[in-house]
Amino acid sequence: MNKMFAVFKREYLQAVRRKIFVIMTFLFPFLMSGIMLLPGLLISRGMGEKRIAVLDGTGKLREAFARPNENARPDAKKEAQETLRGRRSGPELPSQLNIDYQDKQGANLDAEAKPYFARLASKKSDKLDGIFVIPANSVDPKSDAQLTYYSRSSTDVVTQERLSRLTNKYIQRLRFAANGISPETIASLTTEVPIEGVQLSSSGEQKKGGEANLFMAFIFAALLILPSFIYGNEIMRGIVQEKSERVVEVLVSSMTPEQLLGGKILGVAAVGLTQISVWIIMGSLVAGYGAATAAMAGFNIGQFLRPMIFVWFFIFFLLAYLTYVCIYAIAGSVCNSEREAQQMIAPITMIMMLPWFLMFPIIMNPDSTLAVGFSLSPVFAPITMFVRTLVSEVPPWHIAVAIGVSLVTIAVFIWMTAKIFRVGILSYGKRPTLPELWRWLKVA
Amino acid sequence: MADILAVRGVRKTFGDVRAVDGVSFTVRRGTITGLLGRNGAGKTTTIRMITGIFMPDSGEIVWLGDDNGLPFRDRIGYLPEERGLYKQMKVVEHLFFLAEIKGRRNADVKQSIDKWLERFELTDKRDSKVEELSKGNQQKVQLIGTLLHDPDLIILDEPQSGLDPVNMVLVRKLLTELRGEGKTILLSTHMMGEAERMADEIVLIHRGQVVLEGSLDAVRSSAGKNTLHIDFDGDGGFLQHLPNVRRAAIGHNSAELSLVEGADPQLILQESIGRLRIRRFELASPSLEEIFIEKVGTETLQHDEVTR
Repeated sequence: MNKMFAVFKREYLQAVRRKIFVIMTFLFPFLMSGIMLLPGLLISRGMGEKRIAVLDGTGKLREAFARPNENARPDAKKEAQETLRGRRSGPELPSQLNIDYQDKQGANLDAEAKPYFARLASKKSDKLDGIFVIPANSVDPKSDAQLTYYSRSSTDVVTQERLSRLTNKYIQRLRFAANGISPETIASLTTEVPIEGVQLSSSGEQKKGGEANLFMAFIFAALLILPSFIYGNEIMRGIVQEKSERVVEVLVSSMTPEQLLGGKILGVAAVGLTQISVWIIMGSLVAGYGAATAAMAGFNIGQFLRPMIFVWFFIFFLLAYLTYVCIYAIAGSVCNSEREAQQMIAPITMIMMLPWFLMFPIIMNPDSTLAVGFSLSPVFAPITMFVRTLVSEVPPWHIAVAIGVSLVTIAVFIWMTAKIFRVGILSYGKRPTLPELWRWLKVA
Repeated sequence: MADILAVRGVRKTFGDVRAVDGVSFTVRRGTITGLLGRNGAGKTTTIRMITGIFMPDSGEIVWLGDDNGLPFRDRIGYLPEERGLYKQMKVVEHLFFLAEIKGRRNADVKQSIDKWLERFELTDKRDSKVEELSKGNQQKVQLIGTLLHDPDLIILDEPQSGLDPVNMVLVRKLLTELRGEGKTILLSTHMMGEAERMADEIVLIHRGQVVLEGSLDAVRSSAGKNTLHIDFDGDGGFLQHLPNVRRAAIGHNSAELSLVEGADPQLILQESIGRLRIRRFELASPSLEEIFIEKVGTETLQHDEVTR
């Protein structure tokens, strides 16, 4: 036990003193909060400014473009949320529109538009991002008029949509007014009804803000899974290094491989916990601001962070960590260089990360066959089950089975790792093939 | 003197390779025992079984020294052939760690570290990182790590490999001293000359089996006195073609001729005298290397010119 502690102490102190640890520990929260706060900032500021020339052939729509950004904000919020949910791939975040309205009633629009087209490509301050042409007969309900938006990129769909909405809304008003309906009546008739998602639990408790859950589920899933991979990698690196620097033989002549492996795994786990603790402390310092930003974006963090979540997080974090770390330890002990180990571990990592790649369908349908299957199967159980507890009401026996399956998996993995480790750490030269590994398991 | 360790019929197979095939020998307290054999003979595997890194497939390894309550593996100091240190650690930290994994973690260890660092003239390097040390100094640190916990049995696997000449002399001196203090040393080497110089007892291993065991003196005298050791100036190439020479190992300025039974050395001296300038001409026991070749045949054996 004292020997395991010696290894534990060495692993911990050496890791914690490294510059990269200090940098990561204090920089990561800023990176993370940057990612979290970015949507909020984007929502309040927008993605820069777009200069649009509007050539209005009807001459009646000046008012439609008087306050082009007023309605943009709620839409922007929706778009930001959709981006976070992964529904939108690109950064189609909204911009501030700067409208240059030109009353072109009675003019030949084709001819009038020409000088503006030249300004699309201009490098000078009169540069335009888009030209929006409204034909003279647009207001006439029986016409086949078509609005046209010219821009440099055909993918600027967001701006096109916004311009279309602004114009059509006003044209509809004009048409209503032409039929003798008063402006007040129009305003009251065209009010939109807002929509909200409510999650109903089996106990009948109602939870609002499903979108917030979605967003937070991703963050928590990342917090659960990333450290396992980062520190697993760290253990692999350490073992390969001990091999390549030929330290390992003295170690295994002084203690059992199990003591060595145990000390390493626990030492690195302690490093991870230290780091996460620092992050939690720093996180709680900025929590106020974060919560405010989130609230601005419409997320109610308070209702999401139930105390049980932290219990599940702790349990499933440990289960995930111990599962993954064994795989990395095996890779480290059978390889001779870090590069070789990385190559070997890469495809395995892809398989282990399967639940992460399927995170969206799992979060969207936490009680589907896919999600339940993953949450009850070895290796995938910890992360999938944790995510299910976040967004759904999971039957207790599901959780019990997931924990049981994970514990058995870990026991088998640790047994395998210890055996392969014992043989692997002293074998230099060619990497063993799978059949050879199988023999090691039986021999050692 | 009493035995401290007995290796009894140990076997170890890796896949189809029988690395160690029924090896038995004992190590007497207070001696330097040379474990000899060419590369791949099974020396390192035997040592790894003694140090508990491998479990033997069959056979047993028994500690016969007195029982002071410490586990067997904590009473061994082991310098493996494959050796290295954590490059990022400070010397003093590293030494403390090496003592800790041998179960020593008290104030004595600190004193002991200081004592050894001073002896190896490393006191001013105690707070340097290992990677900042010269190769020779790193080797010294490793050697201190092997001895720090005051082991009863010191096992050195090919200690010469990677050692610079200065450190080699230092190791030899140290081993002799340690033997004088009553420590027991098991020294594995493929360099027969080294063993001849240091060992009291030898265990010769070939293809996983012990082919010769006993005290160096006994082994040599049992081989008889029909070997000529000649030192000379000139080209000694012709010596191997002389009559009555069974086998010859001819170096740059020396030769070892093993003669057929009943041959007269005088004839060889007469033949040589006109062609070489003789500096030494001695009829004696064969060298360990000759004995070894005699035992296992003339399979390639690395000539250890370096250690002469």
